[in-house]
Amino acid sequence: MKKQNVRTLSLILCMFSYLLVGAAVFDALESETESSRRRILELKRNEMKKKYRFSEHDYREIERVVLQAEPHRAGRQWKFAGSFYFAITVITTIGYGHAAPGTDAGKVFCMFYAVLGIPLTLVMFQSLGERMNTFVRYLLHKVKQCLGCRRTEVSMENMVLVGFLSCIGTLCVGAAAFSHFEGWSFFHAYYYCFITLTTIGFGDFVALQKKEDLQEKTPYVAFSFMYILVGLTVIGAFLNLVVLRFLTMNTEDERRDAQERASLKRDRGFLSRGLRRERNRSRSHSTLFLPMEEGTSCTNLIASPAEDPERQRRTGAREGNMWRVMLFFVMVIYLFTESQLKINTGSIYMICTSRECFEMWRLK
Amino acid sequence: MKRQNVRTLALIICTFTYLIVGAAIFDALESREETTKRNELDQKKAKLLKTFNLSTEDFDELEKVVLELKPHKAGVQWKFAGSFYFAITVITTIGYGHAAPSTNGGKVFCMLYALLGIPLTLVMFQSVGERINTFVRYLLHRLKKCLGMRRTEVSMVNMVIIGFISCMSTLCVGAVAFSYFEGWSFFHAYYYCFITLTTIGFGDYVALQSKQALQTKPEYVAFSFIYILTGLAVIGAFLNLAVLRFMTMNAEDEKRDAEQRALLAHNGQAGGHIHCSADQASSSSTPSGCGGGNAVGGSGGGAASRSLRNVYAEVLHFQSMCSCLWYKSREKLQYSIPMIIPRDLSSSDTYMEQGEAFSNPLHSNGCVCSLQHNSGISSVSTGLHSINNYRRLNKRRSSI
Repeated sequence: MKKQNVRTLSLILCMFSYLLVGAAVFDALESETESSRRRILELKRNEMKKKYRFSEHDYREIERVVLQAEPHRAGRQWKFAGSFYFAITVITTIGYGHAAPGTDAGKVFCMFYAVLGIPLTLVMFQSLGERMNTFVRYLLHKVKQCLGCRRTEVSMENMVLVGFLSCIGTLCVGAAAFSHFEGWSFFHAYYYCFITLTTIGFGDFVALQKKEDLQEKTPYVAFSFMYILVGLTVIGAFLNLVVLRFLTMNTEDERRDAQERASLKRDRGFLSRGLRRERNRSRSHSTLFLPMEEGTSCTNLIASPAEDPERQRRTGAREGNMWRVMLFFVMVIYLFTESQLKINTGSIYMICTSRECFEMWRLK
Repeated sequence: MKRQNVRTLALIICTFTYLIVGAAIFDALESREETTKRNELDQKKAKLLKTFNLSTEDFDELEKVVLELKPHKAGVQWKFAGSFYFAITVITTIGYGHAAPSTNGGKVFCMLYALLGIPLTLVMFQSVGERINTFVRYLLHRLKKCLGMRRTEVSMVNMVIIGFISCMSTLCVGAVAFSYFEGWSFFHAYYYCFITLTTIGFGDYVALQSKQALQTKPEYVAFSFIYILTGLAVIGAFLNLAVLRFMTMNAEDEKRDAEQRALLAHNGQAGGHIHCSADQASSSSTPSGCGGGNAVGGSGGGAASRSLRNVYAEVLHFQSMCSCLWYKSREKLQYSIPMIIPRDLSSSDTYMEQGEAFSNPLHSNGCVCSLQHNSGISSVSTGLHSINNYRRLNKRRSSI
C-alpha cells in the first residue's frame, strides 16, 4: 500500500491508543480525589443550608446568582485591556474562557475574527520562529568558531538542544514572574505557563484576574501580553524546527509519486528512434524538458529503475506483516476500551471461537 | 532587506494591528452589556443578603462552596469517559477547562501527556487532511470527466471552494446535533462547534455536561468524540490545503538563498568543477538541488568562467521562458508535474566537449551535483527540488 496511507493509518492508530492510555491514567489519578472532594463539598453545602435555613429553591437562587457573577469577580473584562487579552486568547486559540462574549453580536464577531486571525497568527509565529532559528543557528556557528571547535557546522541535534533549553527557560521565567505577581506556587505558575504556551488554555489558572489588575497594573498587563506572545514564538520556533517537516511529509510523498508516475508514462511513451539514439549517447546526463500540456510532455530520457520481482515479493511480505500488526493493535485498543467502560460485547468470546474454528479448518 | 525579514516584520505588524482592532471592536460590543449585567447582579446579591440576613463573609463562604461545586454539578468528570474527553481536549489543545486536574500528579502527567500528544495530533490531523484532500481531488477529477467537461484538471480554486463548503457543513451538522441533544439554540450550538473545531475552546459551552450524559448516554458520548475528531480532520484538511504552504515559505526562501550563495561562491572557480557545498549552516532535511538550476549571472574573470557564464545565461534565459510557461500552465498540470531538470543538453555537451569531469561531492545533506551516477529518480527529484525552488522563486516574484 502507498506509503502515505500506511503512515496515515498508523498515525490514527497511534493517536487512539494514546488517548486511551491517557484516559486510563487520568482516571486513575483524579477519580479518587474527585469523589472525595465532591463528598466534602456536598457536606459543607448541606451544613450551610441548615445553618442559614435555606430551602432547596433558595439555594438554587443563590447558586444561580453566584455562577452568573463569577466572571465579574475578576473585574472589568471588556474594557480595552481586557478585550485585548480576549483577542489574544482568540487568535492564538488559547481560549481560557475567563471572559466569553455574552452578546450574540459578540459571538458572531468572535467567529469572523477567529476565521481570519488564526491562520494569520499561525503563519506569523512560524515565520518569526524560522527567523529565530536562523539567527540562533548563526550565533551558534559564530560561537563554535570562537571556541575554536574543529567542526563549526551547526547540526540538527545542536539546534534541537538549544530549542528545548529555550522552551524550558521561557517556561521557568514565566513561572517565576507569575508566581510572584499572582501569588501562585512556582509549580502552579509553571503549569499555567505550560498550559498557556501550548495553547490548551484550560482557564483554571488565568493571569490578570486579581481584582482590577487589568485596569490598574499596566506594566504587569503589558508584561503578560508580551510574555504570552514571545513565549508562543519560542514554542513556535521549536515546532518549526522539529515538527513542521512532518506536517508536509504526505504532500511531498504524493508529489514524488506523481513524478514517478509521469516519468514511467513518458518512458513507455514516445521513444522515437532519434531520441533513443540520443539517450544512448548521453545516458548519464539529464536533459531539459519543455513544459507542455498534460499528457504531451517530452520524453524522460533517464531510465527509471525496472520493476524488480524480488523487490515486489519482499514489499508484499512486509505489507502483510504491517496489516497483522495493525489488526493486533486495533484488537488491543478495542479490548482495552471494553474493559475500561466495563461493557462486554462478547468480542473476546468471538475472537476465541474464531481462532478455534480457524485452527480446526487448518488442520483439516 | 532580505525577503524573509520583510515578510516576518510585515506579519508581526499585521498581527498587532489585528489585535488592536479586535480589542477595540470587542470593547464596543461587550462593555456596555457587561456593565449592565454587573449592576443587575450586584443588586440581586444585595437583595439576597437582605432576604437571608447574610453577612458579607457568610456570602463569600457560600460563594466559595458554590464555585467549587461547579465542576461537580455536571457529573462525574474523571471516570473513563470523562477522562477520555479530557484527554481529547488536552492533545487537540481545545482545553475547555470544564474539568482540570486538581491533584499535582494529575497536573504533571497532563504536562507530559501534552508534550508528546500535541505534536502527534498535529502530524496526524495534517496527514489525514492531506489524504482527504487527495481523495477529494480524485473524486472531483472523475466527476469532471463524467460530466464531460473540457478541462478535467482540478484547480486550486475548486479545492478551496470544496474545502470551505465541507467546513461549513461540518459546523452545521454539529450545530443541529448539539442543539438537539444539549437543548441549545442553533446559533449557540454553531458557536460551540466553531469554538471547538478551531481549538479555541472557551468552555462557556461544553457538550456532555448536562444530565450526567458522560455516564448514562454512551451513544451520544461516542458521537461527540467522533464528531470532534472528524471535524478537526476536516478543518485540518482545509488548513493543509490553504495555510500550510505559507508556514514553510521562510524556510524555502532561506534554502533558495543558500543555494544561490553556494552557486555564486563557486562561479569564479575554474570552469567545469562545480562543487555543491550547500551552506552547512542552513542545514535542512531535504536535499537541496544545486547546480545549474539556480544559475544567476556569475562574477569572476577568466575565459573558462566567462564561457560558463554564457552557458548559465543561456540556461537561465531558457528556463525563465520555460518557468513562465510552466507557471501559467501550472494550474493545468496537477497530475503530471513537468520535470525541468536544470542541466540542459547544451551545457552538458559543453562540458563533454571541454572534457571536464564533474566531481561528485555527495555531501551529507544529499546535495548531488554530478551528472554521472544518476539513477532516474534521484536526478529527477534533485531537479524537481531546484525547480520547485525556481518555481517558488518565480511565484514570489509575481506575488510580492
